[in-house]
Amino acid sequence: MSLQIDHVTKRYGATLALDALTFDVPRGGVFGFLGANGAGKTTTMRICLGIIAADAGEIRWEGAPVAELPRRTWGYLPEERGLYPRMGVLDQLVYFASLYGEAPHVARREALAWLDRFQIPEYAGKRAEELSKGNQQKVQFIAAILHKPQVLLMDEPFTGLDPINLVILREAFTELRDQGRTLIFSTHQMEAAEALCESVAIIDRGRLVAGGRLRDLKRASGRRWIRIALEGFQPAPAWLAEIAGVERVRRDAAGAELVLEAGAEPGAILNVILARGGSVSHFEVIDPSLEALFIELVGRPADDDAGTLGTAARPVAPARDAA
Amino acid sequence: MASRDPLLPNAGIIARREYRDRVRGPLYLASTVILMGIALLVALAPIGIRYLDRGTVTRIAVVSSDRELAQRAVAVADSLLNVAPSGVDPATWQKPFRVEAAGGKDTAGAALARGELAGVMLVERLPTGQLDVVFRTDGPPDGVRSQLVGFAAVATGILDWTAGLPASAQLDPFQTPAFRVESINTPTDAGGRPLDPQQTASREFLGVVFVVLLFMSIIIYGMWVATGVAAEKSSRVMELMISAASPRQMLTGKVLGIGAAGLTQYLAISVPALIVLEFQDRIAEAVLGPGWSEGAPLVGLTPMLLAGYGAFFLLGFGLFALIYAAMGSFVSRPDDLQTLSLPLSLLAIVGYLAAILALSGGGGTWVRLASFVPPFSPFVMLARVMVTAVPPWELALSIGLLAAAIAIVTVVATRMYAAGVLLYGQRPGVRAFIAAARRAG
Repeated sequence: MSLQIDHVTKRYGATLALDALTFDVPRGGVFGFLGANGAGKTTTMRICLGIIAADAGEIRWEGAPVAELPRRTWGYLPEERGLYPRMGVLDQLVYFASLYGEAPHVARREALAWLDRFQIPEYAGKRAEELSKGNQQKVQFIAAILHKPQVLLMDEPFTGLDPINLVILREAFTELRDQGRTLIFSTHQMEAAEALCESVAIIDRGRLVAGGRLRDLKRASGRRWIRIALEGFQPAPAWLAEIAGVERVRRDAAGAELVLEAGAEPGAILNVILARGGSVSHFEVIDPSLEALFIELVGRPADDDAGTLGTAARPVAPARDAA
Repeated sequence: MASRDPLLPNAGIIARREYRDRVRGPLYLASTVILMGIALLVALAPIGIRYLDRGTVTRIAVVSSDRELAQRAVAVADSLLNVAPSGVDPATWQKPFRVEAAGGKDTAGAALARGELAGVMLVERLPTGQLDVVFRTDGPPDGVRSQLVGFAAVATGILDWTAGLPASAQLDPFQTPAFRVESINTPTDAGGRPLDPQQTASREFLGVVFVVLLFMSIIIYGMWVATGVAAEKSSRVMELMISAASPRQMLTGKVLGIGAAGLTQYLAISVPALIVLEFQDRIAEAVLGPGWSEGAPLVGLTPMLLAGYGAFFLLGFGLFALIYAAMGSFVSRPDDLQTLSLPLSLLAIVGYLAAILALSGGGGTWVRLASFVPPFSPFVMLARVMVTAVPPWELALSIGLLAAAIAIVTVVATRMYAAGVLLYGQRPGVRAFIAAARRAG
């Protein structure tokens, strides 16, 4: 384990933002840091970067406290996007890399290569304010990686990107991972996290709910999941939820996902469906999706703000019964 | 994290960006050119006024029931008011005053009321033989012209008295006594000798100019610093910056960079104006001809004074700029700065007013005290140095206290900046400042 979050606690006045948060991030992979708004993700990242100090606990990278590490160990893509509006794109990329200790001529060369890679080489000489939000986001991503950090922390990196840019960014993630860098990102977008992450940490109200390899978390769920499609039913019929042994049904355009109660057998469920006259076109016992796993563990979707701490500086909102 | 984040090179990189960002802006260039032009016009204004005034003749009438007495008074006043400058050909020189005998008090009074005369000198002999002289004027009662007429009255009295002496009286020719004022509080030159009146007047003029420039620089360029910080927050680029550089590096770089941009503009404005002032006499002579010089305004300026001004400018600006930067970090938008900057502007205004008082020789003990207390000391000690003889230990103590204050403010401002830059969407207020200051403790 390379990055160790070890019993980190942080308070903002009366608000407990992080409550002895503990988890490990393996080196050289893509790690998903999942939680609803106000769960404590940004606070954790800021403590990693030394922007704010923890009240208790410690964060270590490769065994060394993060406060002792040079800033260039980290790359940071904040959730709040921002560049110097009147400064040229290439100039500010070189500027940020210089602050991290990169030689300007090297930074310039690398920046041009990344702009080309992200299909925006023509914007090198333009002011940041002339770029679309999506392109500004790509420039910010380049600013975060230009100095070749060992660990890249990204707060909601996919927000606001169109599908094409989303693919470009995901490819960049993969490339950086293959170079041996450690990528940690927070997101609401469970599909993106599921597609990219080998490991995740799910936090809620400053506490770790679950963490580890994604595959292991799914298998440890203890529940079985069925993916089913019935001919002639669009969407899937409501009576699926009434079948004994089915705890929950998530219906979508293609069919439905059934979450079975502990001990329920998929075969028995299939028999009941067939007995009720259902014409089954697709039946599959599956691992739960990350989104489903998140809901199961946290009690609500990641984009549901209920029960969150709000932003770091705001007092905590009263928790709603997740049931 | 000072060991992790040494001040350099990041503070230098940030300072360079801030400097370039400002000096390359079209507003900066435009304002520099406009202010430079205004400063040059102000420096040339005295020559312009003299140029416009060169053909004007000021008329003064002498009224007396004794015709002989009136003629003596005209002759004396004319010789005192119309002193030809050295190097001028008296034959071609045009007298600025025309002193003439007038027929009657009422006629002259009416001419004075109509503005045709600048003054009426009423000269009468009392039954005791004493002369009674009244000068009616449209100018101030204690103006230079009134004082000269006062001298003329005395001289007329002496002439009138000597005219009554017997012809056999053996008298040497009358000699005007030499007269000068020596104040024990007058600034001295490098050799400890009191300055002459022209140098003293120059020091008073320069004192006002320097104090006003210092005040304006602190307010204007201090607000640049605060606005720069607030703009970084509002554009959210601060989020990137705080991971790339430490608050100490950012604060120092910002103050240095924006301060340097301000200093560049300041020099661009003031140096041409100072050059004009330095050569004002020569320009006046070239434009108006010989005899129009009135003494160089910068005659009292010495390299040591200029160095002292530079030191107080840099230290004073540094102190205020650090506070402005910390203040800027507590607002989310530049618009919120106006309200928040008011208390700081008031502090500068208090220092400015105390300095103006010191320049006029007032204030006494508390002004002397203020010349040691930051943030007032940059203004007040500068003013004292310009117009009085300040003991070296007082100057050293004032600069030492100012440097110590900057060191303390740097630590507190860095902590406040570090806390402030992460506060978004909150109304700035006293509570936020106190909380940050406590954390700094």
